[in-house]
Amino acid sequence: MVPPPSSAMAESIVVQELGKRFRRYRADRPATFKEALLHGLHRLKPAEDFWALRDLTFRIPAGRTVGVVGPNGAGKSTLLRLIGGIGRPDEGKVKVQGRVGALLDLGAGFHPDLTGRENVYVNGVIAGLTRHEVARRFDGIVAFAELEPFIDNPLRTYSTGMQMRLGFAVAAHTDPEILLIDEILAVGDLAFQHKCLDRIAQFQAQGCTIIIVSHSPTSIQQLCDEALWLRQGRLVAYGPADVVAGQYVAEMSAETRRRTPTVQPVLRTPAGTELRINENRFGSLEMEIVAVCLLDPAGQPVTELDSGDPLHVEIEYLAPEPISAPIFGVTISREDGQVCYDTSTEAMDLHLSTVQGRDRISFHVERLDLIGAQYYVDVGIYQHEWAYAYDYHWHVYPLVVRPTRGEKGILRPPHHWQIGDNQPPPRKGAGL
Amino acid sequence: MRTKPNIPLRGQRWLYLRDLLRELVVRDMKLRYKRSILGIAWSLLNPLTQLLVFSFLFRSVMPLHIPNYPSFVFTGVLAWSWFQSALFTAAGAITDNRELIKRPGFPPAILPVVTVTTHLVHFLLALPILLTFVALGGGRLTGAIAMLPLVILLQFLLILGLGYFVATFHVTFRDTQHLLGVCLMLLFYLTPVFYDASIIPARYQALYRLNPMLHLITAYRTILIQGSWPDFRTLLALSAFVGALLWLGHAVFTRASHHFVEEL
Repeated sequence: MVPPPSSAMAESIVVQELGKRFRRYRADRPATFKEALLHGLHRLKPAEDFWALRDLTFRIPAGRTVGVVGPNGAGKSTLLRLIGGIGRPDEGKVKVQGRVGALLDLGAGFHPDLTGRENVYVNGVIAGLTRHEVARRFDGIVAFAELEPFIDNPLRTYSTGMQMRLGFAVAAHTDPEILLIDEILAVGDLAFQHKCLDRIAQFQAQGCTIIIVSHSPTSIQQLCDEALWLRQGRLVAYGPADVVAGQYVAEMSAETRRRTPTVQPVLRTPAGTELRINENRFGSLEMEIVAVCLLDPAGQPVTELDSGDPLHVEIEYLAPEPISAPIFGVTISREDGQVCYDTSTEAMDLHLSTVQGRDRISFHVERLDLIGAQYYVDVGIYQHEWAYAYDYHWHVYPLVVRPTRGEKGILRPPHHWQIGDNQPPPRKGAGL
Repeated sequence: MRTKPNIPLRGQRWLYLRDLLRELVVRDMKLRYKRSILGIAWSLLNPLTQLLVFSFLFRSVMPLHIPNYPSFVFTGVLAWSWFQSALFTAAGAITDNRELIKRPGFPPAILPVVTVTTHLVHFLLALPILLTFVALGGGRLTGAIAMLPLVILLQFLLILGLGYFVATFHVTFRDTQHLLGVCLMLLFYLTPVFYDASIIPARYQALYRLNPMLHLITAYRTILIQGSWPDFRTLLALSAFVGALLWLGHAVFTRASHHFVEEL
């Protein structure tokens, strides 16, 4: 943990009683002169105002990394924009000391018909560099994006990943003193993501002030010194990242509990386990997990298997009302709660459309290379931004991986021993 | 209070704005001609075609008896097409560049300047052809040509001033551009592009002469075709008008620009 911000340090961002009002217009507000003339000008007036941000006061000392957490509509992006000088506050002030750079909408200013080189120049200048400065950094930008062979091809021949890389590379070379990041970047392949995180760490080391907006409290805890928690445009907490983000997580799960209906008949899974609300079942139940079956490749239900065997998890769900883009998650955890593997449809970049009615989704593990022990398969359906769970079954579906003698740990990867070069192979194979 | 982040520090501001303008203008030009065979020649094709049509119509079909008619009409056509196409494009300057508006520190007020400059480049590219016409067509190129940059500057600022208005309106009313197209077509006939202003009956002249483009086109013709100095009193009045228009347009634009992001 880091010491709390002290007033002795130079401040790069000072926000005082900041308020930003948005106008909400009537649905039939004219969008053209024609409509305005036909239906009268009075409809042009905003129907009501609402405050996207209000009474926000905080200071960010130079060189800190601050994460902004909060549910959707809390005003996170609005705050980021105001710090970036886009739009003007309706109340209070934002004082920003230093050159602002941004990793927002990477590659948004790119044009497909221009070459990579032309786009780098245009975007570098748009990002605040002079031509001369872009020219000096050009080779560095291209090398960072790893696009040397393609730089004179039109951008339309680039893959999305390549465009994002170029976008990040330009933004990373603008020498910002204050860097604004909206959502932790998922740019290109894993290796490049690593490079991006390295670059962000480098910015931190150079004393750059960084503001990160994220839905993921975990990444805020990992990357930030402090966290700022917004709810409905107001500041809830501002303090050490792990404390504030943890508090936020707790409140979010409280939110899940609150949405969980209290009067619900006790249900049983087909295997006979009781489902008890807020004990092993959580969520708003806007969408329900009806049944979960653990199957072997032949489609037969299993409760026990050998390490390295395949496993299919079939989830039957029911959505009485249409639900937009739910996320399905599966966690394999040990009896003691240790998570061995956790994944979701979102982690696989699998975006579901709106679902309604009863259907199935299945999750396939080609090899379950876990050490023999007692496990649970936890299954959840979440709101499309992870704001809360629709239904989450925790430690309801047991799974036993048959123990093997003399092995410890968590993983049991395929393996074998080879003894010397001239010995006959060992008589008993293990693993494969 | 206003924050001006992302701007290179101190004296570099102008240098930066110059580079930004240059890059955006070059981008526009490249995009327009990148995948065409004729490339930049396209920008000349349109006025030259108009020149042919007008010359044929008003010399052979319905003679207007204007001396040096090709030079006369080409001057009008070039000045007018700069005005018309720049103003029409300026209406979309904000709505067509929403990704730039959302960049921290990007000055939205530069976008109409970019549009007008792009079309100025087209005008300047055609200028040598016009001068050739004038030289061959019996016009007199005299020292008065020194006034040409001033007239061009006045036209630039006139379009820019109007451009700030139409770009602002187009954010709220998305049919501004259509409406503008109709107005420009009407104004074309009310501007002495292919005829001479003197044929307008005297009782309409006072109203007719309120059109600033009339005075600009007249000034171009006085300088290029008659080779004499333009009327300074008119230019002075025009400068005052353009100055006020630009100030007001910029103020309206700046005021509205704080809400551009919300309305796009």
